[in-house]
Amino acid sequence: MATIRHYYSVAACFARLAIQRQLEYPLFLFSWLLMIPIQYFSGIWMLKIIVDRFQPLNGWDFPELAFIYGLGLLSHGINVVLFINTWHMDGMVIDGAFDRLLLRPMNVFFQLIASYFNFIGLIDLIPGVLIFAYGCHLVGFEWTMMNIIKIILVIIGGVLIRAALFITLGTIAFWTKRNASMVGFALSMLERGTMYPLNIFPNLIQLLFTFLVPIGFITFYPAIEFLGKSGEFGLPVRIALWTPVIGILCFWLSQRMFKFGLKNYESAGS
Amino acid sequence: MFQAYWYMTKLRVLTGLAYRFEVFASVGTNLILMVASVFLWKAAYSGGSGGSAGMTLHELVTYTIVSILLASLFVTDVQDTIYYKIREGKIVTDFYRPVPLLACYLAEDIGSMLSSLMNKVLPLFLVASLLFGMPLPSSWVGMLLFIPSCLLSYAILWLLSAIVGLVAFWVMELGNMGNVKDAIVRILSGSLVPLWLFPQAVQTISAYLPFQYTYQTPLGIYIGVTGTVEALRAMAIQGVWIAILYAILALFWRHTKSKTLIQGG
Repeated sequence: MATIRHYYSVAACFARLAIQRQLEYPLFLFSWLLMIPIQYFSGIWMLKIIVDRFQPLNGWDFPELAFIYGLGLLSHGINVVLFINTWHMDGMVIDGAFDRLLLRPMNVFFQLIASYFNFIGLIDLIPGVLIFAYGCHLVGFEWTMMNIIKIILVIIGGVLIRAALFITLGTIAFWTKRNASMVGFALSMLERGTMYPLNIFPNLIQLLFTFLVPIGFITFYPAIEFLGKSGEFGLPVRIALWTPVIGILCFWLSQRMFKFGLKNYESAGS
Repeated sequence: MFQAYWYMTKLRVLTGLAYRFEVFASVGTNLILMVASVFLWKAAYSGGSGGSAGMTLHELVTYTIVSILLASLFVTDVQDTIYYKIREGKIVTDFYRPVPLLACYLAEDIGSMLSSLMNKVLPLFLVASLLFGMPLPSSWVGMLLFIPSCLLSYAILWLLSAIVGLVAFWVMELGNMGNVKDAIVRILSGSLVPLWLFPQAVQTISAYLPFQYTYQTPLGIYIGVTGTVEALRAMAIQGVWIAILYAILALFWRHTKSKTLIQGG
């Protein structure tokens, strides 16, 4: 109990410092406030233009596309707020900031994520919440207790799947000292793979995103259940609840990877 | 005089070729964008309902692929260059150079473009050709008009970037304003979705803005949707925009220079 309180107080202190640091330059904050909404609102607007001009994309009409797009943005936003430090672990390894974490008598992974509470990342949640609420409204989503619990579990699962991917990639930096290229690659893969329904892609990509890198479970498979669409690959009907299970599994595996990498870690020596 | 610029360009080509990881990131990311966009269009066209768009699936796929190739070719680092030079105080030493500062930055960007052509555009072109067939232009005339139109497009993009960069002199912390501009350009230039598909009101407004003359004009010429006469007209408008933006930049630059000198004491 005392340990938990101790960890909590450290996290709170880190968070306060991080927020102060991010508020230092007003125009910096403002530019994010402009850019993130422009980026995502225009993304969903493009989809609307395409559907209006042509037809539903492989059976997904605009309300359903808005639902899946918003759902993807919600777990993306929370991941950006809590886990952004996993994106540049290579930088920390190279400039020696990572060595500092090893010297303190606390869990290394906890320090890694707690040391930067990404206040600016909350901006990612603005278009996320708006687009998701709009999508829910359009598809006539039923806000029953059961559905709310399921949505929350799906979002948590999605955050964990995303985090696990970045932790795994970050761990590679323990050996290679460089992985920035892979983070950019993973980001665009996650964006394209979670905001569009997976079934517009060829079977090979669908299989890949189901069984190898399970990002299909972040939005696509839950959306299938919530929207009452037909399943793929003969997966059982109640696939929405697979998301938190797979999320926990992926996260656990990435933690094992992280611990293993830590054992073999050699400082870049600065 | 010209030798100095050529030296800066050459230096940039060499540094560009040295960063393998950065190259891998760019090619991989653009490849994902390309694959996702092409399958998005394929889904939109499946069932043969593409008639309302006024262009075939093949034309649209070519449009998308060439657009992504152009985006990785058109390097306009000038806004970031100015921003970092100011933040780190290096702009002072750059002012000592006996050649015009902005021309130096242009020479460097051209160097980056030449190295991108070899290590980003070429691999992307090859992979795209393997996956979706070679994105060929509709005709020889189209190809011949496409190249000068691209050069004009680049001039517009570079001038926009330089103008945004100069804002850094005034506010000291530009943050991500460059990316805000890039996000607006991406939508209104028709680089993702051609503006022909947009609602009429947006098309009317964007006819009076410079953005659609950066990507849509050369791409329309390339896939043959824009005829020869129309193409020449569009290129004339590109020229007008270059003149306007150049005038703005020159004016702004004169004011900015005097302001910096005062600040430097």
